[in-house]
Amino acid sequence: MQTASSTSIQVAERAEPASLHRLLIRDFRNFRELRLDLPEAGAMIIGPNGSGKTNLLEAIYYLEVFRSFRGARDSDLIRFGEDVFRIEATIQRDGGTEELAAAFQKTGRRKKVEREGAEVDRITGAIGAFGAVVFDLDDAGLVSGSPGRRRRFLDILLSLVVPGYVADLQRYRAVLAQRNEALRAGRDEVVDAWTEGLIVPGAKLMAARDGWARRRADGFRGYHQQISGGAGASLEYETSLSAPQEDVGWEMRFRSGLEASRTRDFRRGFTTVGPHRDDLAIRAEVDSDGPERDLRSFGSGGQKRTAAIALRLTEADSLREANGRDPVYLLDDVFAELDRERAERVFRLLDEGRSGQVFFTAPKPADMPFRDGALARWRISDGALLDHA
Amino acid sequence: MSAIESLVREFSRLPGIGRKTAQRLTFFLLKSTPEDGRRLARAIERVIAEVVACPECGNLSADSPCELCRDPRRDPSRICVVEEASDIPAIEGSGQFRGRYHVLGGHLSPLDGIGPDELNIASLFGRLENGVTELIIATNPSVEGEATASYLFRLAAPTEGLRVTRLARGLPVGGDLEYADGVTIAEAFSGRREM
Repeated sequence: MQTASSTSIQVAERAEPASLHRLLIRDFRNFRELRLDLPEAGAMIIGPNGSGKTNLLEAIYYLEVFRSFRGARDSDLIRFGEDVFRIEATIQRDGGTEELAAAFQKTGRRKKVEREGAEVDRITGAIGAFGAVVFDLDDAGLVSGSPGRRRRFLDILLSLVVPGYVADLQRYRAVLAQRNEALRAGRDEVVDAWTEGLIVPGAKLMAARDGWARRRADGFRGYHQQISGGAGASLEYETSLSAPQEDVGWEMRFRSGLEASRTRDFRRGFTTVGPHRDDLAIRAEVDSDGPERDLRSFGSGGQKRTAAIALRLTEADSLREANGRDPVYLLDDVFAELDRERAERVFRLLDEGRSGQVFFTAPKPADMPFRDGALARWRISDGALLDHA
Repeated sequence: MSAIESLVREFSRLPGIGRKTAQRLTFFLLKSTPEDGRRLARAIERVIAEVVACPECGNLSADSPCELCRDPRRDPSRICVVEEASDIPAIEGSGQFRGRYHVLGGHLSPLDGIGPDELNIASLFGRLENGVTELIIATNPSVEGEATASYLFRLAAPTEGLRVTRLARGLPVGGDLEYADGVTIAEAFSGRREM
């Protein structure tokens, strides 16, 4: 069970947060070349829409998971007319520093990750180098958009906090592609050969996602109540498998689910059950004292943003527990569309008891004194830094 | 196309050889004696002329059936299934197995259009009828190798008196635990044994 107050007490005992220092961004989105020395506390980045504020956060987060948090393809991240982008940073962590770099080349579609100047063998082994959470301006779409966005949210987070998750995910996807192809070709015994390989990694993915939603439901509800001023909320992993008659493990459930859907899978030419068809149900009280409603179909934009911020705070808690230190907070215009009262509650949740580096974008200077007002103030325009205020 | 360019192209079609390496190989041959190059050419000619797939097991050999199938000291009641003929020397090098082999010629991969008909599977089941008591599946521990193993198991399991086994997975001998990847360690844990 986790409440916000117990969380802040725990944090005081944790290791120093990791932070980014020297940052180089070259030919990424609208940046030609940007070199920055990042202050320990972080920075407020001020600029009009289209100036590159979000791109800067995207570049920083790229070093965490080596893909765009906006779901963009790597080739679309390269500055127009160029062939390669590169991002470098010095990461300070556990009393030492590490050089981390990522680059992608359009020709040959080659991605490269370097630690201390040496290319890593497996990129997935290098994810989560510092711990970061993005509060995306577009997060209302995470709550109410397509199930794929919520699966991506779970997959990225669980890859960072559950050992072996990313390997299971890769294996599951590889087997799934083969099984779907076998279904299209319509050969029974070949399909069955792939079914077996789907069950073990698939069951592990579902168990990890379900376990996460159960463990985090209380924390999520607490954050939602604090931001909204009392409205309850819940998280639930929603599986494509039918409810079991008795308490059996995920492997058994997935196996019977695949057996039951076999005929339908053949008819439709793809695998219709499994973690790739699942969702995370996010519900909240949208009317005062009313029942919790599913935010995929109910709720205002502001209510969806409230739930999204509570979800991101819950994500930060997961990272904090897994890494033993506060993550870097990438806040993309996080107070937009929130009334004054909610904005102040969100500010307090993001500031009190937290020590992670903050990068906070806004279209105009905001009176949000993160980390005792220690954030640098930068202005950005057309992919260039105008001044250090 | 120049003679040099044409040899570079031929080399770069080989697995694991990029254009740079292909150029190195070509210029190495040009700097060697003419006899060195001719010997290589003759060796290539010879394998093409002499080596055939064994009609019995699919192994590549100059003899037909291959020397492993003809060896009377090898136990015909046990068959080890491998993906490629190149897997056989690795198993032979271990000295652990004295039975017969069966080469599939690849693995199932619907995405690449490879189904059971594209593999040397039908003849395997013909062989099983002749008193085979153990089928050892030694396909690679990859996604495709596992599915191929699963496919063979389903087909072979109903055969009376036949034991179907799969090679164990785990830590490499002589390696350091700290250098093993997470998946391998996880496999080794789930397959741990009583001491």
